[in-house]
Amino acid sequence: MLLIQQFVNSLMLGSVYVTVAVAFTLTIGVLNFLNFTIPTLFMLAGMIGWALAYWGLPFGLSGPLPWPLALFFGMCVSILASLLVERFTFRYLKTKYGDSTEHAIPLVSSLGFLLVLENLVRIGYGTDAQRFPGPSADLTMSIGGIFVRIPQVVSLGIVVVIVVGLTWLLNRSRIGRGLRAIAENPDAANILGVDTNRVVPVVFMLTGLLCGLAGALFAVNYGEVSPQMGEDIGTKAIAGMVVGGLGSIWGAVLGGLIVGLTEMMTIHFFGADTVQVAVWGLLLLTLLLRPQGLLGHHSIGKGKL
Amino acid sequence: MSGYWAGILSILAINVIFAYGIFLPVATGQLNLGGAGFQALGAYTAAYLSAMFDLPVPVTVGVGMVVAGVVGFLIAFPILRTRGVYLVLATFAFAEVVAGTILNSETLGGAMGMSVPAFIDWDVPVIVAACVTLFVFYLMSTRFGLTMRATHDDEVVTDLMGVNIRMVQVSAFAIGGALAGLAGGLYAHSFSFVEIQSFNALVSIYVLLYVLLGGTQTAWGPLAGAAFFTLLPELLRTVLPQVKSFLAALVGIEGPVGPPDDSWRFVILGALTIAMMVLRPEGLITRTMLERLRFRRPSPSKEQVA
Amino acid sequence: MSAPLLSLRAVSKNFGGLAVISDVSFDVPQGSRTALIGPNGAGKTTLFNLISGVFAPSEGEIRLDGQAIDGLPSRSRIGLGIARSFQNIRLMPHLSVVENVMLGQQARAGSLAGMLTPLSLFGRSRWRREAEDLLDRMGLSTYPGEVVATLPYGIRKKIEVVRALVAKPKILLLDEPAAGLNDTETANLRDFLMTISQTGVTLLVVEHDMSLVRSLCDHAVVLNFGRKIYDGSTRSVQDDPAVLEAYLGTRQAGKARTQEADHVA
Repeated sequence: MLLIQQFVNSLMLGSVYVTVAVAFTLTIGVLNFLNFTIPTLFMLAGMIGWALAYWGLPFGLSGPLPWPLALFFGMCVSILASLLVERFTFRYLKTKYGDSTEHAIPLVSSLGFLLVLENLVRIGYGTDAQRFPGPSADLTMSIGGIFVRIPQVVSLGIVVVIVVGLTWLLNRSRIGRGLRAIAENPDAANILGVDTNRVVPVVFMLTGLLCGLAGALFAVNYGEVSPQMGEDIGTKAIAGMVVGGLGSIWGAVLGGLIVGLTEMMTIHFFGADTVQVAVWGLLLLTLLLRPQGLLGHHSIGKGKL
Repeated sequence: MSGYWAGILSILAINVIFAYGIFLPVATGQLNLGGAGFQALGAYTAAYLSAMFDLPVPVTVGVGMVVAGVVGFLIAFPILRTRGVYLVLATFAFAEVVAGTILNSETLGGAMGMSVPAFIDWDVPVIVAACVTLFVFYLMSTRFGLTMRATHDDEVVTDLMGVNIRMVQVSAFAIGGALAGLAGGLYAHSFSFVEIQSFNALVSIYVLLYVLLGGTQTAWGPLAGAAFFTLLPELLRTVLPQVKSFLAALVGIEGPVGPPDDSWRFVILGALTIAMMVLRPEGLITRTMLERLRFRRPSPSKEQVA
Repeated sequence: MSAPLLSLRAVSKNFGGLAVISDVSFDVPQGSRTALIGPNGAGKTTLFNLISGVFAPSEGEIRLDGQAIDGLPSRSRIGLGIARSFQNIRLMPHLSVVENVMLGQQARAGSLAGMLTPLSLFGRSRWRREAEDLLDRMGLSTYPGEVVATLPYGIRKKIEVVRALVAKPKILLLDEPAAGLNDTETANLRDFLMTISQTGVTLLVVEHDMSLVRSLCDHAVVLNFGRKIYDGSTRSVQDDPAVLEAYLGTRQAGKARTQEADHVA
């Protein structure tokens, strides 16, 4: 029974991993860009949401905001930050020689953004974890003896909708076709008429949206935010992406859930300290033995970066 | 020498050695985001040998370096079959696995860390750093160094020229790992205590960034990068207080939140990284810059007909 | 006539079902200057890649000095005497001129001791001096320490050839050495290559510039759609009906041969 309860709990955490993993895999799939700022965007939504709920808008424009509004603004900040990253990583990228480290320029820039954003938040709000003032009512249901909280179910539902919506976007819409064209062959896409200057920011907007949403859901469900919250989630999301296969959305879904499950089982059987080595060990083995993961394409990332 | 500046020199020396450890694979074309893992291997080996067997420092640090180098050599073969994103992730994962393993090891102190009985003063890291610097300059001047940089620029053609690129990459990665381990061992004996939390992912990120900022085309780059990263907090200490209160007032932060001063150093590191990648991705010190400085020659000459 | 230096027998190359080279056989005589020509897409660079070992043939055999080389790894070919230049110049952009040339010495200098000796730390080593001398003799008076990325196109082309030469090859494969050069530069190139040939190096040249081909080369092999359609002297290649049809594609091919047809395809 306890195991099943833990399994249900891990499903919730897994869905957070899934959302962030999808953001990672989308960016790698379309742009061949490992965006290390993603965990920071996740954290920004949570922390800004908390700051707005705790203090209200800056410059004394308002009192503390109700938590749904605060989280909404938090998500907007994530999206804006993501677009800022696009402006200063991708927009300026000029590959002159095509050598191995040149393609890594956006990755390195994203590391820079990670440092800037995370430390600005630390400077502004300190390093402590903060309690997030979420829904006050006790919204726990019991289904056959298993306790499930309403916010958890809602979150799960939102995640499902997002993933399905994203898949529809990629496969059916004009923008989606543009994204897939860029993923196939960035140079040809330009010639074929895809306006990369308008399509590429879409990836970053989606990234901000996904991470912001995940951060908001996390804040509501776990009631706690901190400047460090991105690091842990980022780890697991990357692992989920790799296990599922770089570039594959459904792979990220599968991978995120598998990582959540792995985490739960290692904690249950071996204790919390072993999670790090288990998850990263899984990732390392996947990279070395089956780099394309479960559902990924063979060619993504190879030889380009 | 005051204790304060002795500490700074120690850290600078250790950072220089660490930087060279990452410089070697990056100069060959492999971004190594797992520096902290190698450093941890060296540090914990030295700490363990010192604490358990009371071995002299040259032995503990030396063995630590060898352990890191051997692990680097063994892991290099599978890891260097991957490329690009996969390679970066694999090195990152490797460091996390090392950290996670140490975290779970009772013999190595787990989360509590381990204290290191033998202490070394600032002169030891500084002398070692000088030797490492000379060694790297020498290495880069050899044909091996040439093939390293050629592999970075164009693997296919370098292979056609007769170079065994796999061995060049593995060697650079392994020697780099050994140097990072050396830095770790010296760190252990300089600070008398090791805990796994100090060998985290951020450390790997910092060292990679300041190596890239310094410039990866020549052996001067890591010196510049390490010096910048180590001395920046000192610079900030003189400039920061005014800037801090000004910015805090701008954003409307109320009350004393007590921001950690250390964080500004990383904001600047990050901001400079972003700026550099846009303006000068090859880093501060490049080959062209050195050639211009070295000979101060006039503008490029025209070709003459045979 | 002595045994050919390079010989191909029934060489084919398929990429996933697409036959890029089909059943090509020809000899390159020792000391000759052979042109490898054909319309775009005929497979000339692929053939170069097969000879230099970038990939292996799907079928057939390639022999150098009688020894079969098609199974040998790519990095061994230069040691056997095959050096090449590339269609899109492939020098190391961040290395200096002399360093690029020294890379070409790798096959002759790559022992463990060779790898660990400084090239220019305490004065200039013999390898560096050899590279600088060759650059001088080939008329490249560019400052040898100059980083290659900043140099003009024509100079970089020459440096690439010098890099191939310093390997002391038996045969030099040149992929479109005259691309992007004007008439004067092409004439200089012709003299440059003639000098090289006179030192005993065999030349195999892919070119589209027919005037260069006619003035430099004595032997021509023509490819079309991956097959050989002509193998003989350069004097009569432009009269050959199969060649003309390949380039001009019509029955009026013979009549269309005008004075301007020096630059074909």
